[in-house]
Amino acid sequence: MRQGFTLPAQSGKTILLLRPAIKVSEQSTGGLPEPRAEWTDQARAHIDAALVEVQRQLGNTVIVAPEAYGEDARRVAEHMALFGAVSEAVIQYQFFVGNRLPTKKRDNKAGQFDWSLGPEVARLPGADQADYALFLYTNDQYGSTGRKMLQIVGLVAGVGVTSGVHAGYAGLVDLKTGDLLWLNADGQMGGDVREAEGARKRVRQLLEDFPGSAIPKEDAAPTVQPEATP
Amino acid sequence: MIGRLRLAASALGLALALVPSAHAEPALPPPYAGAYQPQGVDEQGLWRQMDEEERRFAESDMVIRDEALNTYVRKVLCDTVGQDRCGATRVYIVRVPWFNASMSPNGLMQVYSGLLLRVHSEAELGAVLGHEFGHFEARHSLEELKARRSGTDVLSWALVLANLAPSYDMVRAYRDLQLTIIGNFYRFNRDQEREADGLGIRYLNSSMLRPQAAAQVWERLMAEFAADARAKGLKKPRFDRIPFYSTHPPEAERAATLALLARPDAAQRDDGATRYRAALAPWIPQLLDDQIKLNDFGASEFLIQSLAEGGWTAPLWHARGELHRMRGAPRDLANAATFYGEAVALDPNHAEAHRGLGLSLLKTGQPGPGQQALRRYLTLKPDAPDAKLIGMMIPQEVPAP
Amino acid sequence: MNFRPIFRIAALALAMFALTPTTASAHKLRERGVAVTIADSPLTVTPARDWNRLDGHIGKHVESWTLDGGQLNDVTFYAGIEPGKPLLRERSKKREPLPKFSAATLLVELPELLETTYRSYKQIADFRVVNVQPARFLGQDGVLFTYEYVDQDELTRQGEANAAIIGGRLYMVSFDAPRLHYFARGIEDFRRLVETARLP
Repeated sequence: MRQGFTLPAQSGKTILLLRPAIKVSEQSTGGLPEPRAEWTDQARAHIDAALVEVQRQLGNTVIVAPEAYGEDARRVAEHMALFGAVSEAVIQYQFFVGNRLPTKKRDNKAGQFDWSLGPEVARLPGADQADYALFLYTNDQYGSTGRKMLQIVGLVAGVGVTSGVHAGYAGLVDLKTGDLLWLNADGQMGGDVREAEGARKRVRQLLEDFPGSAIPKEDAAPTVQPEATP
Repeated sequence: MIGRLRLAASALGLALALVPSAHAEPALPPPYAGAYQPQGVDEQGLWRQMDEEERRFAESDMVIRDEALNTYVRKVLCDTVGQDRCGATRVYIVRVPWFNASMSPNGLMQVYSGLLLRVHSEAELGAVLGHEFGHFEARHSLEELKARRSGTDVLSWALVLANLAPSYDMVRAYRDLQLTIIGNFYRFNRDQEREADGLGIRYLNSSMLRPQAAAQVWERLMAEFAADARAKGLKKPRFDRIPFYSTHPPEAERAATLALLARPDAAQRDDGATRYRAALAPWIPQLLDDQIKLNDFGASEFLIQSLAEGGWTAPLWHARGELHRMRGAPRDLANAATFYGEAVALDPNHAEAHRGLGLSLLKTGQPGPGQQALRRYLTLKPDAPDAKLIGMMIPQEVPAP
Repeated sequence: MNFRPIFRIAALALAMFALTPTTASAHKLRERGVAVTIADSPLTVTPARDWNRLDGHIGKHVESWTLDGGQLNDVTFYAGIEPGKPLLRERSKKREPLPKFSAATLLVELPELLETTYRSYKQIADFRVVNVQPARFLGQDGVLFTYEYVDQDELTRQGEANAAIIGGRLYMVSFDAPRLHYFARGIEDFRRLVETARLP
């Protein structure tokens, strides 16, 4: 969470919700993701529905980004891809214990959270009508049989092998500067997004601790939150 | 389920007696009346999403948007399956240097640029696209999906969705052994592949194109893999990497089936090779470049040689030169110089070939002729990205008055 | 050069390491004003600001630095690649060979060596060399070139690299970053870093 950032409930700010980038795939034995279209579609439908539900809980006006075409669509796609990369970097290099970049560790100590998507966000469709943009990104890879086998073998050998990668990020971006104000990310998200209830759970997890929101905390998988500790 | 389909197909066959032929060949199903219509609120919602996804797909940087090429590929599809069928299809060509094509239940077809490099005629392209269209028309992907889903009746059109958008995840998935071919990520079983083959060949039979071309595509692809394996010193070619191998009838059976199904009297037909070469000519240099830069020497050399069966052209010689120059062993460089030489003999204004020739000559101890070739390159292309650097490699002459 | 699998490994590792007490980070600080050697070679640089040296071993004599993470800004040093060797360690010498630097490679061919390495290593097809200029590097005549490509994560990245062939070996430093915001943001820091590069 960016230093000094607060967003009180009902503050009259408007949040632009960008169409979630959702990918659901199956991990082959070699660890490569094989996208599964029907799962992705289900996930998208369920996540959309869950988002509608939580909108009022967020405590601020939420507008959904308008349909984008042509150049606008490319801009959105590039920003979404960049958001994925930035979120990944935040987790990998500032928060993931054991992998922190030395300069980022220092930032943690100083309470610094200095990440941005760049000022081009102001040109996203709908940006002129909102103060902040909410980016959602989830990439789920479910274990295939091969990997499940590996998992069983791993258990016996005493080595942990996760089946599937479930990464989800929710980020709030200042539409004037592109600064990332708030990021919730979890590499071990719960909820099977292929089911309606799972999608609701995932959305709740993603938006946990959203500034000014009324969403109750889940005591599910541990989330990675910024800390000032070494 | 497949059994019922077959029954339906042959029932139609009896109902529509086409031109009698020596084979007891079932007729094609009646022209497809457009894409499947969504039923019910849920499906309509999904349908709407699918159209939106198609828009996203169309925005992708990986799509090749050239109108002439797109029109041509569409034309070949329509020539193959008939105007009635191809009417509702949208064809997209994507810049991915591997052999593949796929089709979604809503009629979106994508063709990889690597496929366009590997077929040599309209009949061959038609064979591949027709095979894919066959899966679509026989609703194989829908069957698969229905078979897999549990609990709900809502059809998921997402078969195409996010994953239809060309992405490197998808490309990597294709390279994985377990994937099926020409296809989306479903594992069509052997019967389904046979059926698609059958439909594909029947389209060709009814078209103006030569159906015997279908078997050639597979044979050439296997030869490419064998050449690549040889060049890498591997004992067994990775035929299982040709996904068709893992789910298709074994090669002998397949080629034989295709050959049998192809109407013998159609063997004299045009296969549209000349037209195909002409339409692809502006693209071959880039497609070859994408292929060569993958660093698969054996496969690239094979592809260039097989394209050259239709006659060596300056771009083909140039590509061969690039391939050898980039591998760079002394003998390769000598060969490269020869190949570039052939290119400029056919086309004295091929700037890149002069560059390649110049570099190769310089590296094989012939600085005089090498510099001369580089000079020619700069004359032809003074605004080349590396003009300055190349200029430094040539001794300055007294400027002409 | 940044490549994708890092994240997957990290995510897997989350499960394994989440409960471990803080361990010293494998990435090392490269302090402002302090000269350091690169990848077991005679090459040294003196950063004008603090950088992070990324852990990992993508090739012999290859080292990567970053400010915010490899996917956002990546400086890769190739410090003395020998003739006959590829730029990066090959996943499989036989099945997936990478292009090799050779004793006969000319300066003007270096951009294409990087291009072919990126294309085959990352399995991408959209790569364009934009500009190639003669430029001094490490006190010798070298080449400066720029490029753009669509990476494995579908993000378009821009790159700039300096290279020279010295004593028969290839020395090169590249900077890759997303075209959106990050390339412009990091390019000056990169250029300042390159200016301090020295060979004895």
